[in-house]
Amino acid sequence: MTRTATIWLRFAIAAMALAGVTLSFAQTAQDIAVIVHPKNTVDNLTMADLAKIFRGERQYWRSNLPVLVLLRTSGSHEREVVLRNVFHMSESEYKQYWVSKIMRAEATSPPTDLYSNGMAKEGVASIPGSIACISAADLRPGVKVVRINGHLPGEPGYPLH
Amino acid sequence: MSRHISFLTVLLLASAFTNAQTTGGQSDDVKALLQRIDQLEQRVAELEAGKNNSTAHLPDGKAQDAQTPTAQAVEERLSTQMHDEHMQNAKDVEGHFPSMQLRGFGDVDFSATDEKGTTSGFTLGQFVLHIASPLSKKVAYFGELSFTAQPTSYTADVERSIIRYSYNDHFKLSFGRYHTPINYWNTAFHHGLWLQTTISRPEMIRFGGRFLPVHFLGMLTEGNIPSGSLGLGYEIGLGNGRAGTISRAGDNGDVNSNRAWVGRIFARPTAVRDLQIGGAFYRDKITPIPALTGTPSFGEWISSAQIAWTHETPELISEFANVHHRNNLTGTIYNSQAYYIQLAYRLPWEARKWKPYYRFEYTHVPASEPLFSAPAFEVTDLVGSTAGVRFDITDFAAFKWEYRHTKHRPTDPPVNGVFVQTAFTF
Repeated sequence: MTRTATIWLRFAIAAMALAGVTLSFAQTAQDIAVIVHPKNTVDNLTMADLAKIFRGERQYWRSNLPVLVLLRTSGSHEREVVLRNVFHMSESEYKQYWVSKIMRAEATSPPTDLYSNGMAKEGVASIPGSIACISAADLRPGVKVVRINGHLPGEPGYPLH
Repeated sequence: MSRHISFLTVLLLASAFTNAQTTGGQSDDVKALLQRIDQLEQRVAELEAGKNNSTAHLPDGKAQDAQTPTAQAVEERLSTQMHDEHMQNAKDVEGHFPSMQLRGFGDVDFSATDEKGTTSGFTLGQFVLHIASPLSKKVAYFGELSFTAQPTSYTADVERSIIRYSYNDHFKLSFGRYHTPINYWNTAFHHGLWLQTTISRPEMIRFGGRFLPVHFLGMLTEGNIPSGSLGLGYEIGLGNGRAGTISRAGDNGDVNSNRAWVGRIFARPTAVRDLQIGGAFYRDKITPIPALTGTPSFGEWISSAQIAWTHETPELISEFANVHHRNNLTGTIYNSQAYYIQLAYRLPWEARKWKPYYRFEYTHVPASEPLFSAPAFEVTDLVGSTAGVRFDITDFAAFKWEYRHTKHRPTDPPVNGVFVQTAFTF
C-alpha cells in the first residue's frame, strides 16, 4: 500500500512539474510585452500608470516628450489583451470611449492602429515618445521592454497575457 | 394580420442571424490575415538573420567580380533603405500638422405632452460638427458648430472654439469659447446627444437655460495635480462671464469691466474605475439687459458639487449647485438651489444593447429673487422625474424612449410627456 502510494505520488509530482514547465512556456509565448524607445528613461510602470497612458490621461513622459500610443489593429491578440487588461473595455466601448474623449477636447486622436508587430517595433524604435504592446515572442533588439508591476514577460505575476 | 407580423418577425430574425454570421466570418478573416502578417514578418526576420550569418562566413580576401557588389555594400544599401523606410513609416505614424478630423452628431426626435398649447410631432434636432486638429505636438485646436432648426430657417452657432497649448500633463493653457466647467454634464457630453444616456439634459444645465452659465469665453488653464492614485485634476478660467442676456456668454465683448472666473477641482481615483468626484466655484458680476427697475447689478457666486460613476453597471451621475445672488443696489442676498440624480444600468442580455434609466430633478428659486423672477430672465421651480430606456442599435447610433413628469410652480398643473429620439454620431 505504501509502495503504491509512493509510486502514485512520484507520478503526480512528475506530471505537475511537466505541466508547470509547459504552462510557463506557453505563458511566455502568450505574454504581451510593453515596449518603448531605448532612450526612454522609464523602466517600470504599474498597471495603473499603463492604464493612464493608454487611456490618454497621461500624455507626456516629460514636458518635451509627448506620449504616442501605438496599438495593434482590431482582431489581433495583442489588442484583445490590452483592451481586456488595460482598458477593461470591449471593442465597441473602446471606440465609443475615444469618440467621447475627443469630443471633450481631451485628445485629438485615438491611439494609432498598426497592422503588425513589425510595424509597432519600427514605430517604437523610430519615435522617442512611443509605446506599444507586442507579443513577447516577437521581441527583437532595438526597443526597450518595460517592467509592469516590477515583472518582465515570462516572469510569475506578469499581468499582460 | 398576425401572418404578416409573423412573416416580418421571421424576416428580421433571419436578417439578424445572417448579419451576425457575416460579421463573425469577417472577424475571423481579419484575425487570420493579421496572424499571417506576423508569421511573414517572423520569416523575414529569420531570413535576414540567415543572410547575415552566411555573409559572415564568406572567406576573407576572396576576389570578387567587379560587377558584383561586395557583401558590405549590399548590407549598407539594405540598411540605408530600411532606415529610410523606418523613417517614412515613423513619419506616417507620428502624423502630419495640421490634420483636421471631423465628426458629426445628429438626432431626430418625437414628442407628445399634455401641456396646454403644445402640439405633438417630429423635430429635427441639432446638427453638430466637431473639429479636432493638432497644429503641432504641443498645440491643438478644437471646435464645435451647431445648426438648429427654427420656424423659418436654421441658426448656426459656434458652440466651442478652443486653441490649446499643452506644456505638459500639469499645465495646459487655452483660449476660446468653452462649455463652462462648473458642471460635469456640461463638459462631458457637450452637444453630442448620442454621448448622453438620456434624451434631454438636466434642466439646471439645459442649453438656453439661465440657472447656470452654460458657455464661457476667455482663457483656461488645466492639468493633472501630482497626487498618485487619487488622480486629482484642476481647471481655472478667466473670462467675460454672462452677457446682458444671462443665458449667453459675452461673445462680442463683456457687458461690464468685471471679469468672471471659474475654478474646478476633481478626482479620478484609480481604485474605482470610471469614477469622478469634483467641485467648482464661479464668480461673476451680472449686468442684466434689459435693466431691471432701479438698474441693479448682481454679484454672482456659484458653488457646485458633482459625482459621476460612468461604469454602465451601474451609471450614477448626480450634481448640486447653489446660485448666490447679491443685489448690489440693496445688498440683499438670495440663494437658489438645483440638483439632479440619474441612475442607469446596462443590462447584460442581448449584447448589452439595453440601458434603462431614471432621473430625478429639483430646482428651487426664492419667490423674492429679483433676477430669476423677472420675465426676461425667468427660472422657475421644478420637481421632475424622467424614466426611459436606451437601445444601442450599433456602436454609433441609439434609440431612446422617455417618459417625463414635471411640475413647475405650485399653481401650475403637472405636465406628462412621451419622447422618442434616435441619436447618432458619424
